[in-house]
Amino acid sequence: MASVAAWLPFARASAIGWVPVASNPLPPPMVRQEDRRGDEKITINVSGRVFEVWRTTLEKYPDTLLGSNEKDFFYDEECKDYFFDRDPELFRHILNYYRTGKLHYPKHECLAAYDEELSFFGILPDLIGDCCYEDYRDRKRENQERLIDDKNSENGHLEPVANLRERMWRWFENPHIGTAALVFYYVTGFFIAVSVMANVIETIPCGVIKGTHENPACGERFEAIFFCLDTACVMIFTAEYLLRLYAAPDRCKFMRSVMSVIDVVAILPYYIGLVITDNDDVSGAFVTLRVFRVFRIFKFSRHSQGLRILGYTLKSCASELGFLLFSLTMAIIIFATVMFYAERNVEDTKFISIPEAFWYTIVTMTTLGYGDMVPKTIAGKIVGGLCSLSGVLVIALPVPVIVSNFSRIYHQNQRADKRKAQKKARIARIRMAKNASGAAFISSKKRAEEAMRARESGLEVEDLKNQDTLEMQHHHLLSCLEKTTRRNTDSDQDDLNDIQIRLPTINRSSRSNLNAVSGGGGGGGGGATTPNSKSNNLTVTTAIVTPPTPSTTPETESLLAQTDQSPPPYPQTSSTQTPYTSQNPGDVVKISSL
Amino acid sequence: MCGRTGDSKSGRMFRMIIYRLFPPLRKHLLFNKEKNHDLEDLEMQVVRYKPEGLDVLCRKSKFTRKELQIMYRGFKQECPTGIVNEETFKEIYAQFFPQGDSSAYAHYVFNTFDHDRNGSLSFEEFVMGLSVLSRGTLQERLQWAFNLYDINGDGFITKDEMTDIVSAIYEMMGRFSEPMVDENTTKEHVERVFHKMDINRDGVITFDEFMETCRRDENITKGMAIFDTVL
Repeated sequence: MASVAAWLPFARASAIGWVPVASNPLPPPMVRQEDRRGDEKITINVSGRVFEVWRTTLEKYPDTLLGSNEKDFFYDEECKDYFFDRDPELFRHILNYYRTGKLHYPKHECLAAYDEELSFFGILPDLIGDCCYEDYRDRKRENQERLIDDKNSENGHLEPVANLRERMWRWFENPHIGTAALVFYYVTGFFIAVSVMANVIETIPCGVIKGTHENPACGERFEAIFFCLDTACVMIFTAEYLLRLYAAPDRCKFMRSVMSVIDVVAILPYYIGLVITDNDDVSGAFVTLRVFRVFRIFKFSRHSQGLRILGYTLKSCASELGFLLFSLTMAIIIFATVMFYAERNVEDTKFISIPEAFWYTIVTMTTLGYGDMVPKTIAGKIVGGLCSLSGVLVIALPVPVIVSNFSRIYHQNQRADKRKAQKKARIARIRMAKNASGAAFISSKKRAEEAMRARESGLEVEDLKNQDTLEMQHHHLLSCLEKTTRRNTDSDQDDLNDIQIRLPTINRSSRSNLNAVSGGGGGGGGGATTPNSKSNNLTVTTAIVTPPTPSTTPETESLLAQTDQSPPPYPQTSSTQTPYTSQNPGDVVKISSL
Repeated sequence: MCGRTGDSKSGRMFRMIIYRLFPPLRKHLLFNKEKNHDLEDLEMQVVRYKPEGLDVLCRKSKFTRKELQIMYRGFKQECPTGIVNEETFKEIYAQFFPQGDSSAYAHYVFNTFDHDRNGSLSFEEFVMGLSVLSRGTLQERLQWAFNLYDINGDGFITKDEMTDIVSAIYEMMGRFSEPMVDENTTKEHVERVFHKMDINRDGVITFDEFMETCRRDENITKGMAIFDTVL
């Protein structure tokens, strides 16, 4: 309901037309006593850029942030405006939604950033107008697929599994992680190849038997050898299948999956052959079963990603393929019928029935042109010409769709692999950069201690305000933890760097709620007090030798309980290396001096 | 809009087919010298319309400046071109009565607002109409209602016109009203009203009869005042 509020007076006025024909007297209107607030302008300041709107414009959508009284939380009394610390470029689109009733998605903006803005201002992404909705949905789908890809690849590296079964399953799924798996992978691949080759060679004529003029196939001559080969392959395949079945986390699902069906179809003919080999009647059927042995070649799809992609493409283009099939069938039937009736009266014609003409039509439409059936009448030739022309068109139409689908999926996979490779390098580089900044923690620690020493000895101390409040509190928190656990942080450890890494994230998540991070352990809320009163606790030397232990939370709790006492007197002695014993006599902090 | 008045339907169809199959022929086979095609027509129709000045409107209608400002802002927001055509009008109306089909009633209201019957409603017409309805005297409002019912504008309301209006009003209620609406409902209703209003039983209602009946009926006079709007 865009600006219907403006039209409501009009709709009410035009209702006067009902009055003379009303069956019952009309109810009186609700009378509003208070003076309606005149339309006033609201100023919204978004990161410095000032927007002004009428109040009624914003009130059009009362279930959003700007339309409800939720915006009062952002009201700035001094400037008399509403201040939002968000992106002004994206805010423009949000505001346009209120103005025009249509939400647009800017194509050059990042989808995730836009989504965040929308959720901040309480607008559903589904409200995006038709002009931009498709684009938005496409990009969203791409992003999600990418995320899923990354997550899948990530999960593979975590989770140490002790279970033999799960380990085996991992080996089967990702052969690259262990040598045993790799060996297994190549062995099965080799045997698949051997089996397929054997099937092929079996049928080649092997040479004339001396003394006769027969030229039997190799399979018949060296029956025993081929049988042994086949047996060996089938045993390997069976063993592989049974192992996979054992290792599968969900056996029913595994048995229903395509690969396992292929496996079963590949090995069944052999066993069936074993069982019914005596009975001659059924041996004819048995021979046809051997055809299914060719399905072993599909087992290669476990080894080849390209093959998998092809299969996936065909599956995803099912509708295009269906359309192709349907239109081809239609065209074949039409042309075959016409051809049949055109060529019926020719002597010795090959077009003896319409199904016979089907063969001619197929061969012509796919531009094969075997030449075993040719039209002889003029009408037949014209029809034949039209047939081949239309065949080219009909077949060429759906093919680009399938090709583009394949290309998209293939490139997606390429990108996924590239991302995985790049990710490792990226993480390594980030780690190196953080190593450099991790030293900042130590240096800030040193600075704080120097300031302490300076204040103790009565020297003029430089303004502590320069130090970031956040840093000081964080520092203090970790020092408390050090005290609690009687350990000191080690500058060489990687974990220390994690502290510095996490600082920006702490800034983002919650300014007032300093959650301690894994570098120093679990920690508590000791940093809530002002730095000054607790600055005594910063008396820690910087010789750091022992590695940090995982936080012992009960100890921390006890320490916190004890810190509620009044802060101990400030040590007047100039020795800064006095161990801090007054709080917890039992807990002497071992400090090794520099 | 453009000079297509002399066309026959089949002639136009023939031309369209030729144009589609052989686009280059369009230039050579200029039947009727029409240079416009569908898309170009649409672009030509976008006309910018500017209303009269604020002072003039203030004088002519009974609204204050501030009220006119608010009204125009809303009007322009919904119709940036400055005029409302019937389609937009029906859409706006439909938003207020979602459960039924308000297009018929909207059509009649549109015609009543559109004094010069040019098919589009300018802001002046809109304001004048609203001025009568929200700020006018009882006489003016009754006149407006009479104009609404008198569809063909001949000064008489026949039974058919009244039936049209009443069924349009019932249509706005929608199909799922309690109790159900059927043809008899409208017929009965029209009978009742006509009986009441047609004093001399001549089958039509003149303006004087209409005024008389409405003035005497307290419900109606009270009802006319209900829709006073303070903007």
